[in-house]
Amino acid sequence: MVKLSLVGMLRRSLVHRRARSISALVAMTVSAGVATALLTLYADLDAKLHKEFRSFGANIVLSAPASAPLPTNALARVQEAAGPDALAAEFAYAVATTDTGTPVVVAGTDFAAVRRLDSWWQVQSWPDATATDAALLGQRAAQFIGNEHAVALTFAGHSITLNGAGRIKTGGDEDSRIYMPLAAFTAWAGVGPSVIELQVPGGAAKVEATMARLRQEFPEMQVQPVRQLVEGESKIVDRTHALMYGAVLLIALTVAVSVLATLSASVLERRRDFALMKALGGSQMQLMGMFLLEALVLALAGVAVGFVVGSAAAWAISEGNFHTATLPRPSVLPLVLLLNVAIAAMAALFPARVLRGLQPAALLKGE
Amino acid sequence: MTVSEVKVVTGPLADPTGSTRDDCAVIALKHVTREYAGHGGVVRALGDATFSIVAGEWVAITGPSGSGKSTLVNLIGCLDRPTAGELKIDNVDTASMSATELDRFRADKIGFIFQQFHLIPYLSALENVMLAQYFHSMTDEAEARAALVRVGLGDRVSHVPSELSGGEQQRVCIARALINNPPILLADEPTGNLDAANQKIVAELLQDLHRNGHTIVMVTHDPEMAGLAQRRIALSHGQVFCHPVSGPMVTLRRSTDRL
Repeated sequence: MVKLSLVGMLRRSLVHRRARSISALVAMTVSAGVATALLTLYADLDAKLHKEFRSFGANIVLSAPASAPLPTNALARVQEAAGPDALAAEFAYAVATTDTGTPVVVAGTDFAAVRRLDSWWQVQSWPDATATDAALLGQRAAQFIGNEHAVALTFAGHSITLNGAGRIKTGGDEDSRIYMPLAAFTAWAGVGPSVIELQVPGGAAKVEATMARLRQEFPEMQVQPVRQLVEGESKIVDRTHALMYGAVLLIALTVAVSVLATLSASVLERRRDFALMKALGGSQMQLMGMFLLEALVLALAGVAVGFVVGSAAAWAISEGNFHTATLPRPSVLPLVLLLNVAIAAMAALFPARVLRGLQPAALLKGE
Repeated sequence: MTVSEVKVVTGPLADPTGSTRDDCAVIALKHVTREYAGHGGVVRALGDATFSIVAGEWVAITGPSGSGKSTLVNLIGCLDRPTAGELKIDNVDTASMSATELDRFRADKIGFIFQQFHLIPYLSALENVMLAQYFHSMTDEAEARAALVRVGLGDRVSHVPSELSGGEQQRVCIARALINNPPILLADEPTGNLDAANQKIVAELLQDLHRNGHTIVMVTHDPEMAGLAQRRIALSHGQVFCHPVSGPMVTLRRSTDRL
């Protein structure tokens, strides 16, 4: 039983002109693949960038009023207010004198917490978390220490000797400080923590919201953002978003031109076939329908292949740049579909004009 | 199929009982003009053409290149509309039809036979015939097979055009033209691309169709093919300059009678 249907004719036509069909399919696949890859990365971008920004350290600093210590359980309350994802470390400061008689800022802190919070610090060797007398020497502070292995410090008449565990280098104020365990610091200097550095994951809005909560929780304390970091992160995230949008649009446009050329050539090649169909009584709507259906089929096939290819590309890019895999996101599929159908529709406009102006008699006569 | 005969006459087709050529005309042109806007102004491709073709008649349209043959075929084939004048196909004035109406009308009334066959390369002979059914109404495989059997291609139904000779392709084209039983067969140089043997086959097929009462309008450069027609309409520079009613006996039928 032989059946002649629009879909059947379309299938046969695509197979018959396989080189042209493959060329159009490749263009539509590239479009869908690039859109899938970029949109998949885009969807994960905030999380990935924020994760990257976490390595730059604290984005909020809470300080007690001058000469006053932090309230009791301040760290736990800050952690609770900031959420479980936030990283926090408290610091106590004193200006002590080294064995060479040079004043130097000594900071007491929890090395394990600082190591998580300030993972960007260049540290020769982090002291063991259980060590009670270890010291990390800032690159500049070390110049004022006579014996780096037995760091002798004096504060308010109290002396202490610490084991120099290594140097730290940050390029900032930390290079001029000596860090030691908080418990040992408090016992030695009699000074409690006065600063909490906090790293809140998320964009500027989340940082602002956390700051508002902290100000409410600790009205007597100063809650300050690390401006460069918060604003820098916000700008980079916004610019990356714009860049990705731009890239998607640019690629979509390029692909649209390529598909336009392919579809136009496809119609021009088959003008006689279309002219014949018109001569046989095919209406303008039927012919346009056939042609648009062809463009739609190519667009859908492009989405099917492009989604797989694009998801794989997103995974590879993510793995290569952020060292974490990005899983395929079916949620981007409707947008990719919309984009490809829009490209196919745009590209079909010119060939549709050709079809509208078809002169069957002249074409069938071979003129 | 039956032919309802009105009158059999010879020579100038007039009926002593009162039926005139116009009464029986399946194609009637009255002062038909077709002009095109060209770069150098308006070009008149066909001017003031007036003639009629009655049902069952075989007419040859002859003339040199540029004489207006294609324009006339476009108009009769409902692929174009006149700029001025009245063109009636099967008693319906096509000049006032919209493009969509003309598409539908063309599918109903005209069967095209082309010099270059114009078969769809990826469809079999059977499917090429069914294509005309598809655009007309609905496909019927049995009818399409019967049409191919009628033109002697019963054993070639599943072959694609590239597997058929020129003569066979033209016969598929004829089967396609016949499939919707149109009142008019419009053949544009039907043997122009064929060798002598295939010309003979196609000519015999057209004669057979004519004997069975089909109205055939045939554009040809070939005097031998033109000689098979009952009447010639000669064109020169867009003017119909001679359309003698002569030749073999013509059976006048009313254009509304179907084969």
